[in-house]
Amino acid sequence: MATLTDNPLLSAGALEALIRSGGEPDWLAEERRAALRTFDATPWPTERDEAWRYSDLKRFAVDGLEPTDGPDDDAVSDRIRMRMTDSDAEGILVHKNGRTIERQLAVREAGVLVTDLRTAVTEHEDLVREHLYAAVDAHAGKYHALNAAFWRDGTFVYVPKNVEVELPLGAFTSADRGGLSMGRTLIVVEDNAKVTFLDEYTSDTFDARLFHGAVTELVLGPGAKVRYLALQNWGRNVAHMQRVAAKLDRDARLESLTVSVGGDAARAEVESTMQGPGSESEMLGLYFGDEGQHFDQFTVQHHEADHAFSDVLFKGAVRDASHSVYSGVIIVDEGAQKTDAYQTNRNLLLDDDSEAVSIPQLQIGANDVRCSHGSTTGPVPEDQRFYLMSRGMPPEVAEHLLVTGFLYEVMSRVTLPKAAEYVERVVQAKLGVPGVKEKL
Amino acid sequence: MSENRLEIRNLHARIAGGVDILKGVDLTVPAGEVHALMGQNGSGKSTLAKVMAGDPAYEITDGDILIDGESVLEMEPDERARAGLYLAFQYPVEVPGVSIANFLRLALNARRDEDDEIGVMEFYTKLQGAVKELDWDESIIERNLHEGFSGGEKKRSEILQLLVLEPKYAILDETDSGLDVDALKVVAHGVNAARGDAFGALVITHYQRLLNYIVPDRVHVMAEGRVITSGDKELAMELDDKGYDWIKNEVASGAAPA
Repeated sequence: MATLTDNPLLSAGALEALIRSGGEPDWLAEERRAALRTFDATPWPTERDEAWRYSDLKRFAVDGLEPTDGPDDDAVSDRIRMRMTDSDAEGILVHKNGRTIERQLAVREAGVLVTDLRTAVTEHEDLVREHLYAAVDAHAGKYHALNAAFWRDGTFVYVPKNVEVELPLGAFTSADRGGLSMGRTLIVVEDNAKVTFLDEYTSDTFDARLFHGAVTELVLGPGAKVRYLALQNWGRNVAHMQRVAAKLDRDARLESLTVSVGGDAARAEVESTMQGPGSESEMLGLYFGDEGQHFDQFTVQHHEADHAFSDVLFKGAVRDASHSVYSGVIIVDEGAQKTDAYQTNRNLLLDDDSEAVSIPQLQIGANDVRCSHGSTTGPVPEDQRFYLMSRGMPPEVAEHLLVTGFLYEVMSRVTLPKAAEYVERVVQAKLGVPGVKEKL
Repeated sequence: MSENRLEIRNLHARIAGGVDILKGVDLTVPAGEVHALMGQNGSGKSTLAKVMAGDPAYEITDGDILIDGESVLEMEPDERARAGLYLAFQYPVEVPGVSIANFLRLALNARRDEDDEIGVMEFYTKLQGAVKELDWDESIIERNLHEGFSGGEKKRSEILQLLVLEPKYAILDETDSGLDVDALKVVAHGVNAARGDAFGALVITHYQRLLNYIVPDRVHVMAEGRVITSGDKELAMELDDKGYDWIKNEVASGAAPA
C-alpha cells in the first residue's frame, strides 16, 4: 500500500520565515501556526480513508519537494498572455512559481477590489480577517491545513453591495519549475452583488515535478450571484490539489465549473453549503484523462437551510490508461425541509485500459425533500459509432464527435463563451483533432 | 452488362453468435433504378440494410455484397460509405452538441482529400439547396443532430443527408414508418430529387403507401431471410391488397416466379 510521508522542509522554521517575509499581522501568523500544528498532528490520508479509497495517493505526495519562492524575473509568458487576452477578463492577476508577477487591477465598477491576497492582508485587513478560512476550515484535513499554513500567493476579490461587475475577473497561476506551491483565492460578494471569476492553472510541461495546492473560498451574501470557473490545464509534470468551497446566504446563487484536463494527477474537491433559504448552487464538472492521467473529483452539497437548491453535474471521459474517480455526497441537515438536490455523474470509457469509478451518496436528515442521484459509466454506444461511420467518418472523427456530444450537456450550461470555447479546443487537442493544438 | 450496380449475392448473416437471419439473399439494383424491398416484420429487411452498411453487431457467414463489381465485405462502415453506399436509418441516433451543418461538413470532408476540404460557400449552397428541396426552415442546420427531433424530423434529416452526401447507392430502411402523409410526400420528393442515371436506391417498406410517391422500377418481396419473388410496381399494389400470405402461397404453388 502506498503511504505518504512527511516533508522536513514544511517546518515551523520555514513557516516563520514565510510569515516574516510578508510582514503579516499577528492574527494571520497565529492562524498559520495553528494550521501547522494541525498539519503535524494529522496523519496523511491512506487508501483506508473512504474519501481517498480510489485515489492514486502517491501521485499527490509532497515529500522531496522544495517550496517555490518566485521566478527569476517577472516576465509573463506568451502562453499566459494569450490566455489573458482570450479570456475577455479585466482585473487580472498572474501568479508564477509562488509569486504574483502581474497586477492589472483596474475594474470599471466603483468599490470593487481585486488584488493579490498578501497585499489584501495588510491593505484590506478587516475584510480578509473576517472571511479568510471561513469557507474552508484550516483544520478539517491534512491538505486543508497544509494550504492554510503555507499558502504564499493568492487572489482577493471583494464586490460591495448591489454592484454588478460586468466583465469577468481572473487569476492565472503558472509555473516553470518544480517544487511545492500553494495558492489561495478569497472571493467575497456582498448582498445582491454579482461577479464572474476565472481561476486558471496552466503551464507547459517541464522537467521537475510540481505539486500545486489551490484553495478557493467563495463567500456569497444575500442575493449575491457568482460564477466561478476553475480551469486546470497544467503541464504533465504537475500534481494539482484543489478545493473550492462556497458559503451561500439567503437567495444567493452560485454557478461553478471545475475543469480538469491537464497535469499528471488532479483532485478537485467542490463543496457548497447552503446556509440561507432560497440559495442555489449549480456545480458543474468536466474532466478528460489521457496518457495515464489520474483525475479525482469529490463534491459536497450541504443543505443547512430549508428551501435551497443544488445540482451537481460532473461528466468525464478517460482513455490511454487514465483513471477517474468521482465521489459525491448530498447532505441534508435536520430541518432543511423543501430541499431540492440533484447529483449526476457520467463517465465515458474510451478504451479497455482506462477506468472510471463513481460513488454517489446521500445523507438525508429531513423528511420533506426532493433528492436524487445517478451515475453511469460505459463506452461509447456502438450504435452511435456505427451511425457516424456510416456517414463516411473514420473512427477517430466519430469518436471526437461522440465525446463532444457527451460533454455538451456540461458545456452548454457554461455561461462564459470564451472559456467554453477554450475548453472545447483543449478537449479536441486531446482527441487528436488535426489543427487544434496549434491554436492553444 | 454495365458494372454499375449494387449487388447482393447469396448473402447469409446473423447476429454474432446467433442463427442466420439472412439465408441466401440475392438482389441487384442497377445504377439509375429505384427498387422496393417489401416484407413482413421479421422477414430480414432491416437486417439486410444494416448488414450492407457494415453494422458490427452482425456477421456475414456466406455470400457477398458488391458495389460496382467490388466486394465491400472487408470494408469498415466508413469505407463503405466513402465507396458510395448510404443507409437512411430506421432509428437515427442523436448526437448532442454537434450541429447538422457541422456534422455534414465533416462527413463531406471525410470523402475528400485532406488538402481538398469543401469551401464554405460551396458547402452552404449545397446544404441550403437540400434544405429547400425538403421544404424545411433554414434554421434547422444549426440545430444539434436529431436532438429533440420528432420521429418525422429525424426521417427528414436522413433524406437531407442523402441529398448533401450524394451517394451512388442508398438504402432507405422504413423511412416511411411513423410519417403522416405530408411528411411522406416531402421525404418522397427528396428521394425523387436524388434520382438519376448515377443513383440507385433500395427502398425498404412494409406498406405500398410510400410507393405511390416513389414509384419503383422493381419490387422484391422478402420472407424468412430470402427474396422470394420480384416483379414490377404492380406487385406492390397486389401485395397491399391480398397480403403476404397470398404471395407466399403464390410462390409455393409456382404461380409467382421464385
